[in-house]
Amino acid sequence: MRLPRFFTKKRGHRRTDSQAWGSFAEGLFYALLVGAGVVFGLLLVTGAVTYAPADPDSVVLQRGYEWWMWLLTLLMPVALLAFGGSGLVRVVRTWGKSQEHRAAASRAVILDGLAGPSAGAAGRPAIPSCDNLENSPGIVLRYRLPLESPENWSLVGFGLFALLWNAVVVVLAVGVGADLIGGTTDWLLIGLLVPFVVVGVGGVALFVRSVVLSTSVGPTHVEISDHPLVPGRRYDVRLGQGGAHLFRSIDLGLELEETATFRQGTDTRTQRIVVRRVPVSGWQRVQPVPGGIFEARVPLTIPADAMHSFSSENNAVQWRIVVRAQPDRWPEFVRVFPVVVLPVMAAGAGAVPESVEAMG
Amino acid sequence: MNAADSHGGSAHGPAGSAPFPRMELRFGHPGRRYEPGEWVTAEYTIDGLNGERPRALERSALWYTEGKGEEDLGVHFFERFSTLETIDRVVPEGTFALQLPPSPLSYEGVIVKIRWCIRLRIFFESGRDHVSEHVFTVGRVPPSILP
Repeated sequence: MRLPRFFTKKRGHRRTDSQAWGSFAEGLFYALLVGAGVVFGLLLVTGAVTYAPADPDSVVLQRGYEWWMWLLTLLMPVALLAFGGSGLVRVVRTWGKSQEHRAAASRAVILDGLAGPSAGAAGRPAIPSCDNLENSPGIVLRYRLPLESPENWSLVGFGLFALLWNAVVVVLAVGVGADLIGGTTDWLLIGLLVPFVVVGVGGVALFVRSVVLSTSVGPTHVEISDHPLVPGRRYDVRLGQGGAHLFRSIDLGLELEETATFRQGTDTRTQRIVVRRVPVSGWQRVQPVPGGIFEARVPLTIPADAMHSFSSENNAVQWRIVVRAQPDRWPEFVRVFPVVVLPVMAAGAGAVPESVEAMG
Repeated sequence: MNAADSHGGSAHGPAGSAPFPRMELRFGHPGRRYEPGEWVTAEYTIDGLNGERPRALERSALWYTEGKGEEDLGVHFFERFSTLETIDRVVPEGTFALQLPPSPLSYEGVIVKIRWCIRLRIFFESGRDHVSEHVFTVGRVPPSILP
């Protein structure tokens, strides 16, 4: 019998030591949580029943808490019981089962729940769904692709920061103002207020700059003649770029991006990397018609050897149409339109070979 | 490397304990390269049991990710044999066939890689288990390199 090692390599959910010892330790941890929840809960309940601050020698027949206080008090033990209990059930259910057995069982549950052939787009496992990309018809071509722009999230982030920070500044300023009206001067509070005001003004300036940047260059629209895409096939793409300014350049391209999510200690991080760039078309010194938009219709061919779109819990391979534009007086901006590329099925790949028929 | 063995349980590893069985698997295609939707046939043999009684055998075909991210895994085909009659049919040798799904294809990316394999996992009465992994390729996607 081999004793468990206390320091073994572990990365994420992968274990390099004995599965049985790992599951045992996990079960022990959840059992301890359940035990702590029971003990904690019993102490609270019995303590509340016998609590008598006025006369410790007398018997207390009425409980000391209101119903809402009971809820608050029992929150911690109930959370411990729920977390520990669910973990314990999971350990018992997976005890002695291989990684493949567990994955197959969970897949069977998912399939039962969906009552369909398989997870994924139209029976294609691990291919992301196209529903959100095909629910908007285009003006000229079949679909108008949704925009996935990190700029919008930055805008929301800057706005929230400016709002919350300046709320704190207002509270401090009211305190300082009340002191001054009352004839006293709290120099410590005033000294604290000055850097807060500087950061608050900076936050508002950053937010206003982001709003101006995102609204001044005008919207970008991309339409496509068909979707999902298949390697080797040709599609039409229509680009529409609004704005009253001159654009030094506008480039349209296709990119393949890999995304990997991993844990470092208690942090969860995501890394993205573009591994393939396919230029589609480019324009120099573009001046949209005043009050209108710049429009162009170009052919787009998906490379015949392209990897299909792939998405799993922690990893993804995604194709996207990318518009990079350089306005004359504003910084460059990038707008991203995700698309789904399907795998190519070889002709006759599904035919049953003689060797399989012989197996019965 | 196309095949890899590893072990679990509580009675494995040190010299002098029960030896590991040797599990060999031959694919129907010598190049181990298949197209999506194609049928995979495999023959396997398990040697070196030395009279030890197997408790169960699992045969599975699955894809898993490698690279920077946490490992994801999808089981496409899974069979478990755990009764006396069924184990005698599949140990020490057996054949099986499965049809591949349309996706995912094997992929050699920069931070994301997708691999397909067949795993044979044998469980013994003593509590230990032994798994043998045989990698194969689905599709013909070239490796990605940084632009």
